[in-house]
Amino acid sequence: MSRYERIRMSHGSGGKLTLELIEDLFAATFASAPLKELCDAAVLDNPGGRLAFATDSHSIKPLFFPGGDIGRLAVAGTVNDLSVMGAKPVYLSSAFILEEGFPIAELTKIVRSMKATADEAGIEIVTGDTKVVEKGKGDGIFINTTGLGFIPDGLKIGPQHVRPGDVLLVSGSIGDHGIAVMSQREGFEITLELKSDVAPLNGLIETVLAAAPNIRFMRDVTRGGLAAVANEMVMRKPFGVRIFDAKVPLHHDVVEYSEMLGIDPLLSANEGKVVLAAPPNEVEAALAAMHSHPLGQQAAIVGDVVKKPEGRAIVETAYGSRRMLEMPIEEQLPRIC
Amino acid sequence: MKNFSPDIYKDPTLVARLKQRIAELAQEFKEPVKIMHICGTHEHEMGRYGLRDLLPDNVEVLAGPGCPVCVCDTEYIDQAIQLALSPEVILTSFGDMLAVPGSIPLKGERKGDVRMSLLDAKARGGDVRAVYSVFDAAKLAQANPKKQVVFFSAGFETTVVAVAALLKRGAPDNFFIIEANYFTPPATHLLPELEGFDVNGFLLPGHASAITGIRIYEHLPDYGIACASAGFDPVDVLAGIASVLRQLVENKPGLENTYGRVIQYDGNRKALAELDEVFARSSKRWRGIADIPESGFQLKGKYRRYSTEERFAEVLADPPERSVNEHPKGCRCAEITLGLARPDDCPVFDKLCTPDNPYGPCMVSHEGTCRAWYIYGMGKERIHVEV
Repeated sequence: MSRYERIRMSHGSGGKLTLELIEDLFAATFASAPLKELCDAAVLDNPGGRLAFATDSHSIKPLFFPGGDIGRLAVAGTVNDLSVMGAKPVYLSSAFILEEGFPIAELTKIVRSMKATADEAGIEIVTGDTKVVEKGKGDGIFINTTGLGFIPDGLKIGPQHVRPGDVLLVSGSIGDHGIAVMSQREGFEITLELKSDVAPLNGLIETVLAAAPNIRFMRDVTRGGLAAVANEMVMRKPFGVRIFDAKVPLHHDVVEYSEMLGIDPLLSANEGKVVLAAPPNEVEAALAAMHSHPLGQQAAIVGDVVKKPEGRAIVETAYGSRRMLEMPIEEQLPRIC
Repeated sequence: MKNFSPDIYKDPTLVARLKQRIAELAQEFKEPVKIMHICGTHEHEMGRYGLRDLLPDNVEVLAGPGCPVCVCDTEYIDQAIQLALSPEVILTSFGDMLAVPGSIPLKGERKGDVRMSLLDAKARGGDVRAVYSVFDAAKLAQANPKKQVVFFSAGFETTVVAVAALLKRGAPDNFFIIEANYFTPPATHLLPELEGFDVNGFLLPGHASAITGIRIYEHLPDYGIACASAGFDPVDVLAGIASVLRQLVENKPGLENTYGRVIQYDGNRKALAELDEVFARSSKRWRGIADIPESGFQLKGKYRRYSTEERFAEVLADPPERSVNEHPKGCRCAEITLGLARPDDCPVFDKLCTPDNPYGPCMVSHEGTCRAWYIYGMGKERIHVEV
């Protein structure tokens, strides 16, 4: 594939080695028609209607983790950002910042994983960029992806459409990605059955919207977990959200590991789960649609939208007691005792 | 690990029965009953499970001095900052300590009487790293033989046991500790002597008592205070409360162990023996509270060579300028730590002092009372929901 085993500064020079990397690895793997042209910009067909446009940069340690890698994450992350707006993702760009010395074998694995994830999502990677930074100036690899999607007419999705009485659903178990990745970090290295849930959600979301077209709010659960999504939905709004913590689906590894480290699974990250608010008359349809999809087998009703407290997310426990669910403040760190 | 926290201790049916039992016992009291716990994890779990919602109006649970981060003297925090800023040092610490302000003033940044924390030292070029245990810090020392690796050894008897175990088995020559470990039981001698201290019962700490046992709390019933050691799941906490109430109803304040699956009356003798070999007890300053005799752990004998006070004596002899007040102006952490005030009595709580911009130590640590009250929305009223 390449004459070199590791990334050199010249791979980002814009010269011969850059061209080689693009042709032999990126264009060859992503295999989209616009990318093969090697032009400065991809020229794309426009099916008409409203566009959704999203960008996301990705850095993660370790680059390969149980259930995924930075490449899968970079594609799924942007696909999911578009999908929760009700858009059908179509095109993706992919920009790499590589650190000098990064093994080309690892880069190849990552690029192939991006292609596999793009195929799974039914989208094309149509343009890209490569830069190389000196050794010690980057964390191996950073990937930015930007995505374009088209929004079908008639969808009204956003926190402004939410009403008290709406029902909150999640598409599956919460906290999987955060705990799976943390278990691999230096100092832990624990082997769990749990894997990151990183996955493109556009298929699942399309299925749900076909069955329940009046979904009021959707958000993929990422950093900050369910707590962040719940807070974003109600922040500065004249209503609040109540989560019944006993109803939140959790993998047993997430339960045990969180318990051991003293962290709250509701604040732990996912990369392949969606939270949505459905009007009462579409709850059953939305739930059934999720259950019919491979990524929504464990979907569940986890809460409701309430008149009070306004602007706040709260948890109601299995004991009938209540607490606030605060917007996460920082990355969760294990406690002293 | 599967059996580490069986679901039975979170079982809603058991919780409902204990709630009922507590309500029945509470009817026997004409005056309000105050129960204090002295473990930050208890406060955290009170919030996380909303346990105050399950108690009758005349039973109040107060947070006492149970947060090792909150009582850690500014001297140690300042020392950690000073060492972190020395070029040859890698300063390692539990994540909880990183944002705790010490007493070195930080001028021109943020609002109020702001003090430097280890995070500020890091932003100024100090090599500060969060570790999960003392063993990780020692590994770092091994991997960096040209650096001096300092472990900020904060925490109660639970965490110091691991330090003793490590040092006894031998640590790298370039590894040192800041001796900021505190011993809980002596603080319980001080509390009942405080003016205005009107607590009727204690929930004894779960983790710490696993090491020390509970015999060392035998003085408390002499003050008429009923005691129960308690674990952390909802069933454990409520069982502890029920035990205290029953002892008070029977007018027989004593010492009960409701956390028998973890705590033995005389503690973990092997760990205690190891602890005694490496550490002596010394007087320590509890931040904003008092110097409490025998309440600190100090390296002894041949282990003193691991002390930063030995290795860095010269650097530490020239400390930076420090504020004379232990807590920043307006901060009531000291009274809150003693259970003499509640977080919502403090004028800076949820105003100048929030978890993303902590003013006093009780807002920093997950064990801190103010932080627990802030993030779980604890307060005078139960959270009102209207559907």
